[in-house]
Amino acid sequence: MNTRSIGAAARQALLSLELNVRSTQALVYGYAVPVLFLVGFGSVFRSESPALLGEMGQILTITILGGACFGLPTMLVAERQQGVWRRYRLLPVPTAVLLSGVMAARVAIVVSAAVIQVGLAHVAYGTPFPEHAWLELAAVVLVTCSFMGLGLLITAFAADVPAVQAAGQCIFLPMILVGGVGIPLVALPRWAQVASGFMPGRYAVDLLQRAYAAPEGLSRAGFSAVAVAVIGIAAAAVALGLLSWESPRRLAPAAWGWLSAAFAAWVVVGGAAAWSGRLVVTPGALGDFERISGPEIAAIRFDNLPGDSEFVSRLSRPLAGGGDGRTRQLALDVAEWSPGRTGDAVQDARNLLCIAAIADVSRDQHEGQAARVVFDRLRDTQSSPRLQKILARIILDPDGGTVVTSAPELGLEGRFSEKIVRQRVDLYARKLLGRLRGRIPD
Amino acid sequence: MPASISVRNLTRSYGAVLALRGVSLEVAPGEVVGLLGPNGAGKTTAIECILGLRAPDGGTVLLDGVDVLARPSEARSRCGAQLQGAALQDKLSPRRALAFFSGFYRDALPVPALLSQFGLEQKADAPFQSLSAGQRQRLALALAFVNNPRVVLLDEPTAGLDPKSRREIHGLVAGMRGSGRAVLMSTHDLDEAARLCDRVAILDEGRIVAEARPADLARASSAHAAVRVRASVPLDPSALGSLAGVTAAARDGEAWLVSTSQPGLTVQGLAAHVAASGGELVELAIVQPSLEDAFLSLTGRGDKGGGRRAPP
Repeated sequence: MNTRSIGAAARQALLSLELNVRSTQALVYGYAVPVLFLVGFGSVFRSESPALLGEMGQILTITILGGACFGLPTMLVAERQQGVWRRYRLLPVPTAVLLSGVMAARVAIVVSAAVIQVGLAHVAYGTPFPEHAWLELAAVVLVTCSFMGLGLLITAFAADVPAVQAAGQCIFLPMILVGGVGIPLVALPRWAQVASGFMPGRYAVDLLQRAYAAPEGLSRAGFSAVAVAVIGIAAAAVALGLLSWESPRRLAPAAWGWLSAAFAAWVVVGGAAAWSGRLVVTPGALGDFERISGPEIAAIRFDNLPGDSEFVSRLSRPLAGGGDGRTRQLALDVAEWSPGRTGDAVQDARNLLCIAAIADVSRDQHEGQAARVVFDRLRDTQSSPRLQKILARIILDPDGGTVVTSAPELGLEGRFSEKIVRQRVDLYARKLLGRLRGRIPD
Repeated sequence: MPASISVRNLTRSYGAVLALRGVSLEVAPGEVVGLLGPNGAGKTTAIECILGLRAPDGGTVLLDGVDVLARPSEARSRCGAQLQGAALQDKLSPRRALAFFSGFYRDALPVPALLSQFGLEQKADAPFQSLSAGQRQRLALALAFVNNPRVVLLDEPTAGLDPKSRREIHGLVAGMRGSGRAVLMSTHDLDEAARLCDRVAILDEGRIVAEARPADLARASSAHAAVRVRASVPLDPSALGSLAGVTAAARDGEAWLVSTSQPGLTVQGLAAHVAASGGELVELAIVQPSLEDAFLSLTGRGDKGGGRRAPP
């Protein structure tokens, strides 16, 4: 693109933004409808602490879907029907340049809608701002560009605005219902989880959610980023090959072949996910504990737990002054204990709970204090909402990860079976989670 | 003087249908040329190929000396065009539209001057959706003028307009000629072509079947003059048919329309025939062949004698 083309694209982008602001329909679809979804999510998940932190990826994906998959093609097809683009073609610049301006404006519109969503969630529900704001912005732009590819594909095939609505719904509704966008993956049946792996919405949610809430950001979101990009590029390439500035009346058989090629990218992505074992998730067995929802945590039971002074899973009262000498030393050793600092938050917590479990099973004289040291350590290193999700993940996935079955370096004697250690880890995880949620007095 | 629009052997097909079959024409500076033709003759395809919006299968097009196929952007930067079915966004005002389109040209005309020239000052800030058909068409012409082009292509600029708006557009097109621009316009309206165009080219089934000044075309066509006659007594059609030069006779209300190759002799014969019948001539007028007659004759769409227009 030369300077003249950039100027032309910028002029077109400004005009698109101006017209978008003046269009009631664009404002409703671009801003009001996503806010309705936010309110809907808020009414369901506001009891989480903090509310909606685990759902922002879904909320933002819906916002982007509305803007890119509906908003863009609706505007382009309406303008094409009116003859606007027929007039544009008389200009001394290629229509591709003007189209790039329209798409740049659309990115700005979607980003502004996303910012409004984040701001409203913060004000109305106390949802924290993104953990990695710039990564979140990058993820929003990437997902928007990908979904605009789908929007262009709809533009290429839809003869009029009702056809855009129909085609958009064909993409939107499956992703909302069974694609992990409207309903969390863990709440979906197995067949739907498999199906969602063949849809871009699931990967968009993953990207946006990780950037929003995961401490490690997007470092483990490579597959999702590639999946979203591949689907978007395939759709855009086919769309640009077929796009006509006259309304398509009857499509040639070859066009349907190209359409199939665009959707083949979905199959390729789903196949790669299946091949790499990413398709099916079980409750709590997600690679990302952040996606455990409030209702899942709320469903965890705390009744029938042994008392803190009983034989199993002893727990001392909060330690005044750090406890006795051995307890204080144990606290120092635990802080330096390498299995508690692997970088995987869930595995770290599981390993720390193993200390309490081993002390309990070995009937160590300080078993109750050891458990308290572990609790204090976990509370000191994780925020309460995050720790709740970590503990929920451990409880919901009792066979997940690995467990430590002996810890002589901490002065704990004996080696025990994995099974009994996991049982104790579960008990201590519930005891701590119950305290964090105010269900068990401390 | 070199032609501002030069089209040579333009061909274009849609599958098995040949839409353009070697169309050639030229338009000089300060000349308005009309492209006439029945529906489906290829007028819009020709205009679109000339503008480079549709790739021809063969032929060359030069606009202001620039090869449209080789340098489409430069060619479009030098010409102004108005297309059928082209419109603007509902919320866009004429002022904003002109400002937006002006931005694409180096030497754009000032927006206020365009608003004034095309009579849009009162509606300068009104949304496009609120403009009348005539105002929209004037805006389309104003947009075609933002780059002060030396070449203008208009595709049926008065289609669907009321008489007042048509007269306004006619005035604007006449002004284009006066300012030395080359104008190629397609039209269905033969009166309009006769009034506005220095030359007309009749396109039929993808070919230019005739090209001349409107009056010359009418005279040169095989269409005959006619005599419109009404008498105080009934006229005998067989007697009318036997008069000198008469090729056909048909009722036209209370009168008769008599086609003839020798109007003078036919008038004399009619007068004698009415007198012999004991009546008097109530009406007698010679109707010269019009551009429409020539058009119908050339495109084979006349009804071969009975469908001649009545005189005004």
